[in-house]
Amino acid sequence: MERFIDLTVSAVLLAGLYATMAYGLGIIYGVLRVVNLAHGGVIMAGAYLGWVLHGRLGLDPYLSSPIVVAAAYLLGMFMYKALVRHLPRGPAGGPASLLLLFGFWLVLRNVAYLLFTGNDQSITTAWSTRSVILLDAHISVSRLAVLAVGVVVPLALHLFLRRTYLGRAIRAVAQNPDSCTLVGVDVERIYSITFGIGTSLAGLAGLLSATIFAFNPGSGSGELLKSFVVVVLGGMGSVLGTGIAALILAVVEVFAILVLPSYLTAAVGFVMLVLVLVFRPGGLFGHRVLG
Amino acid sequence: MTRLFRTLSPTRIVLLFLPVVAALALLPLVADLSIYTHNLMTLAFLSIAGALAWNWMGGFVGQVSFGHAAMFGVGGFVAARIILWAPVPAPLAWIAGGAVAGIVALGAHPTLRLRGPYFSIATIGLGEATRLFFTYWEDFTGGSSGLSLPIDSAMKHRLYWWCLGLVVLVSAASWLIRRSALGLQLLAIKADVDAAADLGVSATFYQDLVFALSGAVVGLTGGMWASYFSFIEPNDMFGFDRSIGFVLMAVIGGVGTVLGPVLGAVVFVLLRQYLLASYPQLYLGLYGVLLIFIILFEPLGLSGLLLRLWRRLPISRPAV
Amino acid sequence: MILFRPSLLAMVAAFLAASMIGATAFAAAPPSKVSVGATLPLTGSEARIGGFFKEGYELAFEQVNKAGGLKVGNQKLPVTLTLLDDTTTQATAVSLADRLVNSDKVDFLLGTYSSHLIEAQSTVAEQYKVPYINGGGGATKIFKRGFKYLFGTISPVELLGTTLMRWIDIQQKAGKLPKPAKIALLWENTAHGKDFRKGVSDFVAQSGGAYAISVDESFALDGKDFSALLGKVKAAKVDLFLADAHLPDYITMHRQYVSSGMSHKVVSYGARGSEKGAIEALGQENVNYVLSGVWWSAQLATKPGPSRDFVDAFKARYGGRSPEWFQALAYQSARTLFSAIEQAGSLDREAVRQKLAAMKQPSLLPGGPLEFPAAMGQQAQNPFVLQQNLPDGNAPIIYPPDVATGAGVAPNPKSGK
Repeated sequence: MERFIDLTVSAVLLAGLYATMAYGLGIIYGVLRVVNLAHGGVIMAGAYLGWVLHGRLGLDPYLSSPIVVAAAYLLGMFMYKALVRHLPRGPAGGPASLLLLFGFWLVLRNVAYLLFTGNDQSITTAWSTRSVILLDAHISVSRLAVLAVGVVVPLALHLFLRRTYLGRAIRAVAQNPDSCTLVGVDVERIYSITFGIGTSLAGLAGLLSATIFAFNPGSGSGELLKSFVVVVLGGMGSVLGTGIAALILAVVEVFAILVLPSYLTAAVGFVMLVLVLVFRPGGLFGHRVLG
Repeated sequence: MTRLFRTLSPTRIVLLFLPVVAALALLPLVADLSIYTHNLMTLAFLSIAGALAWNWMGGFVGQVSFGHAAMFGVGGFVAARIILWAPVPAPLAWIAGGAVAGIVALGAHPTLRLRGPYFSIATIGLGEATRLFFTYWEDFTGGSSGLSLPIDSAMKHRLYWWCLGLVVLVSAASWLIRRSALGLQLLAIKADVDAAADLGVSATFYQDLVFALSGAVVGLTGGMWASYFSFIEPNDMFGFDRSIGFVLMAVIGGVGTVLGPVLGAVVFVLLRQYLLASYPQLYLGLYGVLLIFIILFEPLGLSGLLLRLWRRLPISRPAV
Repeated sequence: MILFRPSLLAMVAAFLAASMIGATAFAAAPPSKVSVGATLPLTGSEARIGGFFKEGYELAFEQVNKAGGLKVGNQKLPVTLTLLDDTTTQATAVSLADRLVNSDKVDFLLGTYSSHLIEAQSTVAEQYKVPYINGGGGATKIFKRGFKYLFGTISPVELLGTTLMRWIDIQQKAGKLPKPAKIALLWENTAHGKDFRKGVSDFVAQSGGAYAISVDESFALDGKDFSALLGKVKAAKVDLFLADAHLPDYITMHRQYVSSGMSHKVVSYGARGSEKGAIEALGQENVNYVLSGVWWSAQLATKPGPSRDFVDAFKARYGGRSPEWFQALAYQSARTLFSAIEQAGSLDREAVRQKLAAMKQPSLLPGGPLEFPAAMGQQAQNPFVLQQNLPDGNAPIIYPPDVATGAGVAPNPKSGK
């Protein structure tokens, strides 16, 4: 029983992180119809920025999160304006956008490598080894914080999209960009803002993940794939769907240790990705990913 | 692409191609090549063959695969296991490795329905899952300790011609496919799957076929790689970086063309050697920048650039 | 014009004659230096340790050159090291070795770091019959191929597992640990991890029931989330926690270990434990009583001998910093090569190879003289030293007894149960 509680708690904590990551990828795809293959790279960049701020300025990662979010937002706008803008939209642009953003990921990787060397790093604070005891289970404080952020941020985003003018404009562009131009919405501006929001979420997720895991310039591919699983499974534009999908992924990953040797549990996310894409392409809430 | 053929007739292409191949084949025999250069060229040929095969899927059909290392690894380990098990001549082991790799590629059948980014991301997942699985399957691959093959210097030397032969075969196949009805059918699938289906071009059948062939050839190169290095290990053979290599070679050279992957592979191998000597830490970033430039400015990569240059030359003007 | 032809012919003939004489003179010229080639992972995932190995090699070369060179026959020749970056990639390590031997024409090779790179690279050395001294890859598999030109100064990693178990056994016989004792064995899925596991499990199999391995799991290199695996360990309620991991995984795993509230009677991460980087990242109190086994420790320099000479020279060269086993093994590998060359009195590869095969000399490694027994594939079998982190910040050697500088503590006082 204690084992079961431990595992469930682990899964819930992880789900918060996955939800934040996935939302970043999902919002870009939902509005721009572009898969941000550099998503993992931005996550890695967020982790490094947080690490640098912690190392140089002694800033606690939770305090430096606004800085990381802002920086990641600016990075996203830059990525859109300099690169993505030039691509044709829609299925015709498919492989080109993938490869373009993939190229950018390689550049990010190399820049991080030149600045920080390839060694693994992580952010260690006074909280890193502390834990609270809840329901007989030891819960790491860092993970609890990650969960908290992982719940608050998507909720805030949801409210933003529903209640503010900008949020509604974004949703409108997602549905029909041409009509939006007709009614006077600056679609290009919306695109770059949305891209920025997507990357800022990725950066935040990177910062959070740096407090519990180690990272290096090559990190990011696992995060990219897991985000994708959650996005496809949960459907885009649905906070509830994303949250549930994130929980499902986390639960499957964590409980896999009961049936699989530990080494292979790392493959669970990848296998789920393939299964989800092949068998349930519409996700939980019916959005199509084929064609 | 048909414009290229208008100015460069098939006979002209073959006439250009044959002497180059003959020269390359004779080079080690007449010139005093250092062993190092000889080996480097062998590896270049191997990379060219792999890139050409990848391109069938990535360029002709338009489905960009980030997981080709899976087939490369399977081919390599199957070939290595056969060589370790019985005194089978290495080329047969390579072919067996390629065949198994082709069959394994068919395992990706369900994902071939997916379009564009979904397919590509699925291949990342498949590639990584394959790597973890085969690293775990110690009895077959030796796990992280890998497999050691007996050293065969004579074979390593002869690999130069084996690899060159493979390049000739694969590039001829690429060119023939491109010009044939099959090529047109693949182009149709690439442009619009549904319209192609309406015209009776079965996407599933052709994609399966091309993916299996592409995987088989890449698997074959995996077997040759094993014979060359006499030691292979799963994290390296099935690694994501290796999959990325195929993509980079084909795209930088010119995805969808025949000459593209050849140029791309040569540039990739040479650039790597040069950078390793002076700026080892830059090579990934450099490829990233190249990739960005190519996508934004010259989608046909290096071969596109060559095409532009070619158009400026007098010989390319059609006879009036 | 005809007038010029005989003179032209004469010039050509003279030139040819001169070059032929020059060529033979050149060919017969005695060697002017000893050229050694090596690659190291200076970038890539093993760059940190590659850098340490570079320090060891460079110190050895500088020392010899400062003393006027290496005595080869009746000359003293300078030694040069051509060091290339193999970026921790197997294919590169092999290509560069090929280049060093066939293009740069080095006389001998020193090894790179990391077993899988060495296993691939050594085939090049064997193929071209170049003596290759390996101080960076301890997997026994490398030495089981019947190679004649490969020599390993680095002991098999299995011995690390065995040595750890021997110390544990002594504690158990003294009543400090339960009998039978349950073990959780976690190992990185690499050649290193597999060998560590073999050392431990072989010992357990021969212990006649004194130990039982309750958890035996591998994990991926650079894994991120060990919580599920550690949860399994926690549920198994074992006495001894034995893991083998690289430094980053050690830090990540131990952090999760501590925050999950575990504390076993004996905790070890194989070769990791006393690194300063780890202590900074984890905090002294969390690494107390962690055991580690290494090929060499700076603590061996407390008594006079080759270790002390090495540590003094290293500190003088690198600003007072203390070396670890990486630099020591690299240094020793280079020194052993130099020894063999001196003994052979020439740069003939066969002669040097024979001297290496017959080598029996004291070195900075613990245990007896350094040898390359043919029965073990020419891999040295020197014992490991076990260290334990103590609360006062020291990490004394606690085993083997003849080089111990402190007493080990078991069970871990924090384990409580």
